[in-house]
Amino acid sequence: MTEISCATAPVPVRDDLLAAHCRAWQRLARAGNWWTGAERVAIAAEVRHAWQCSLCKARKAALSPYTIAGTHDSVSQLSASAVEVIHRVVTDPGRLTQAWFEKTMAAGELTDAQYVEIVDVVVVVVSIDSFCRGIGGPLPPLPTPAAGEPSRYRPATAQLEAAWVPMIPVQGARGAEADLWDAAGRVGNVIRALSLVPDAVRQLMDLSTTHYVPRDRLLDFTWGRSLSRPQMELIAGRVSALRGCFY
Amino acid sequence: MLLRASGEATGQAFDLHAVTEGAAMARSGVAHEETLLAFTEAMVSDEREALVIARTRVLDELGPEALVDAAAVASNFERMVRIADATGIPLDSFLDEGTVDIRAELHLARFESPGNRP
Repeated sequence: MTEISCATAPVPVRDDLLAAHCRAWQRLARAGNWWTGAERVAIAAEVRHAWQCSLCKARKAALSPYTIAGTHDSVSQLSASAVEVIHRVVTDPGRLTQAWFEKTMAAGELTDAQYVEIVDVVVVVVSIDSFCRGIGGPLPPLPTPAAGEPSRYRPATAQLEAAWVPMIPVQGARGAEADLWDAAGRVGNVIRALSLVPDAVRQLMDLSTTHYVPRDRLLDFTWGRSLSRPQMELIAGRVSALRGCFY
Repeated sequence: MLLRASGEATGQAFDLHAVTEGAAMARSGVAHEETLLAFTEAMVSDEREALVIARTRVLDELGPEALVDAAAVASNFERMVRIADATGIPLDSFLDEGTVDIRAELHLARFESPGNRP
């Protein structure tokens, strides 16, 4: 099951949006760079379960999440570090810190690239589920994992800069990564953030084109859909503020 | 802060405080701001009853296409904020330099952690 149907959605959904969701679900089921299809779907299942996790609820309610110890309610065989990353990124992203990241990685259960691919899967599932809840439709069933081994591809130009994880430099999008962004142009760090797993950037751009604005229209503020660009930006800014995001 | 840029491009001056203060204090000047902000807040809070009410209001005022587009934009930024927060990226220099005044006015430094500055 890698198709997403909006047959039961209460409102008509744009074809391009539905197609992008289907592509994302198909990719979710396949082996990625560092996780198998089964592991990626397990990450997705953990994403959905995180909202019911007792530890996550207690941490979310606490003045600081770092004062609450415990074990996550998990539905997978993923490592404790992987579950910690998934649950925290889903339920309390605004209070993640570099110290948390370093402590999580120091456990030795995740590589930096595995971490990035987890974030990739998390954000895909969170955003598609969020959309479905928003329009009042059912969440799509998780896909059946496809067989296959991870490619273990790591872009040669990725390097540590100011972020917690290595990224491809602005001028480093060449060769197999030449399609990620215009290396001669301006690219935001939020686009480069997942570039240690190049397909994550491609996925991000595919969803952003249909959810928000096509890349080539980003600076065209007269462009809109049924909502004007200012209406879209009002929503965008409010989500960022509610989630406590600095970016 | 592309809301300001979109206003400048369309000859409008929006009050950006609506972004941080929400539907209850909405005064941005963006059309249907209260409805859109209430819907956004209900989506992020995932309070089912509030979301049903907010969704109905969007449908009544703006129609089904706008409901889809509003849900899509909110979903997009549920993705982007997590990418930014989970990877520890700094604010881009070009964004930082162009938003000094807004960031100060809206007290956005409260969302920062060490390393977020370029």
